[in-house]
Amino acid sequence: MHSSHLLWIQTSAVAQRLLLEQWRQQRGLIFWAVFPSTMMLLFGLVYAHNDSMRAGLDAAAAGILVGAALFFSCLGGTVAVIASERERGTLPRLLTTPLLPAAYFLGVVMAQLLLALMQVVMLYSIALLIGVQYHGSLLLGGVVLLLCVFSYVGMGFFLGARFARRSEEVVVALSAIGVPLLVLGGTFFPLEIMPVGMQAVAQINPMLHMNQAFKGVAAYGMGWHELRFELTFLLVFCGLSLALGMQSYRHLLGVDKHK
Amino acid sequence: MTAVLHIDDLHKWYGSQHVLNGFHLRVEPGEVVGLLGPNGCGKSTVLNIVGKLVSYDHGQVRLMGKPLMELGYRARGMVGVCSQHCALYPDLLPAENLHFFARVYGLSDKQRTQRVAELMHSFELNNYAHTRVGKLSGGWQQRLHLAVALIHRPPLLVLDEPTAAVDLQARMDLWRLIEGLRDSGTTILLTSHHLAEAQRLCSRVAMMRSGQVVAEGSVPQLLARIPGQAVAMVQSTDSAALTQRALSLGWTVRQHADQIRLLLPHDLSLREIVDALDGTQVSAVRVQPVTLEDAYLELVGHTPLTASSQTEHTITPP
Repeated sequence: MHSSHLLWIQTSAVAQRLLLEQWRQQRGLIFWAVFPSTMMLLFGLVYAHNDSMRAGLDAAAAGILVGAALFFSCLGGTVAVIASERERGTLPRLLTTPLLPAAYFLGVVMAQLLLALMQVVMLYSIALLIGVQYHGSLLLGGVVLLLCVFSYVGMGFFLGARFARRSEEVVVALSAIGVPLLVLGGTFFPLEIMPVGMQAVAQINPMLHMNQAFKGVAAYGMGWHELRFELTFLLVFCGLSLALGMQSYRHLLGVDKHK
Repeated sequence: MTAVLHIDDLHKWYGSQHVLNGFHLRVEPGEVVGLLGPNGCGKSTVLNIVGKLVSYDHGQVRLMGKPLMELGYRARGMVGVCSQHCALYPDLLPAENLHFFARVYGLSDKQRTQRVAELMHSFELNNYAHTRVGKLSGGWQQRLHLAVALIHRPPLLVLDEPTAAVDLQARMDLWRLIEGLRDSGTTILLTSHHLAEAQRLCSRVAMMRSGQVVAEGSVPQLLARIPGQAVAMVQSTDSAALTQRALSLGWTVRQHADQIRLLLPHDLSLREIVDALDGTQVSAVRVQPVTLEDAYLELVGHTPLTASSQTEHTITPP
């Protein structure tokens, strides 16, 4: 069999399996759908209730999508996938098959991409119902979201392969690391209201640039040129995190092989 | 005829530990070869090398006549692995697990549909077609695990203690399935701590100690190497007197933990044994024909279940 054909068959098998598992695991659905939808509704109600804050509603919706939804599903989901493969012993099992490492990696990326797409549709449907408006280019918004998803999945592989051994650890780690990153990334509050020191620290948080890029397009209608710094940052960060993720996954295969 | 698996002078070190020390094994088509030995003797390392999970330092491994090193990834398509730990996806149905692994092995849609239906039928999994794997009993999970290992019709099936984690009924069911595979000509390399399992399933057995094969042959060949036709398990409050008497009768005495085993040169009735041991404070005697367990104790010198925790004293007749 031609190796590119095998790569495609294996990639789609991994992606399909992950989506099926996601659908059947109700705990996963809470992270994936219930949590971000609730956040969107709550923030929407708060912003819509106060006339002075109404202008910030569009930005809040964009922040919830990139920060709360995609972060937990794409990054948290990827870490959880790897932790559960290790926990169930399916990773060593897969190592006895001709599954190509690239096929597994791409399969996870594909599954997370489809989940992200469904989240975008779901959350923006809710957002539009509560009065949120999307102002910018759909293509640019799509590119930003794609870069965010790839970055999150790459980071998920890195964290999952290097640190997460059990599913419970994933929840603890996500809460401990994720929530401060969300706050510092300007997901819930604009950067401008933070103390100067915090603003400086926030600049090295990739989530800030993800938020600024997507908020720029969705809430303020900015174009490619205005967002060139964020886009460049995201492109470099995305490349780095994918490379780091792939390298960590290969390292994990080597480690689990010798158990 | 080309051997399905041919291992020659295999060496493996983990740091300073010499785990495999000149291991050799040949598995012919259609054979079921059992690999027996105490914990830490290197059995799992051999299986991991054959399954391409671990590399080796020296020696030769050939699968279907081709060097394992040269086969690379293709070697994984030539071996089906089933270990004692069920590594399946609990949220998927049995057929969904089979379909997933079939795609991982690159089976075409037509081959896959046909093979999954075949295995669901032959492993009697259709009754549980709508049950998630996580809800199946350990025995049925292991049954599915075995089916998954066969999804790509591998020339060699590797079973690593396949019945270690299941109850007695499930073990008997799995034995029947493995016997069915053996009778249909599947080549199997099996490790087990259940010597009765090896005796029942294997056409040939290789006994290992310290990374080497120390005895090899069919079950009757290995039994023929025991200095006795039957074994009497004896309990006595005066083991010294019992040993003395047995030795004077020309019987071989083996003391293992607190049990004395007398290897009898020919079949004797219980009455004859009790009479012969009269006056040695015997409280219980059980006689049975020699089994693979006796061959194992004789040739390997350790019990496979608790090799590290038990001691053995052997007294041979003068």
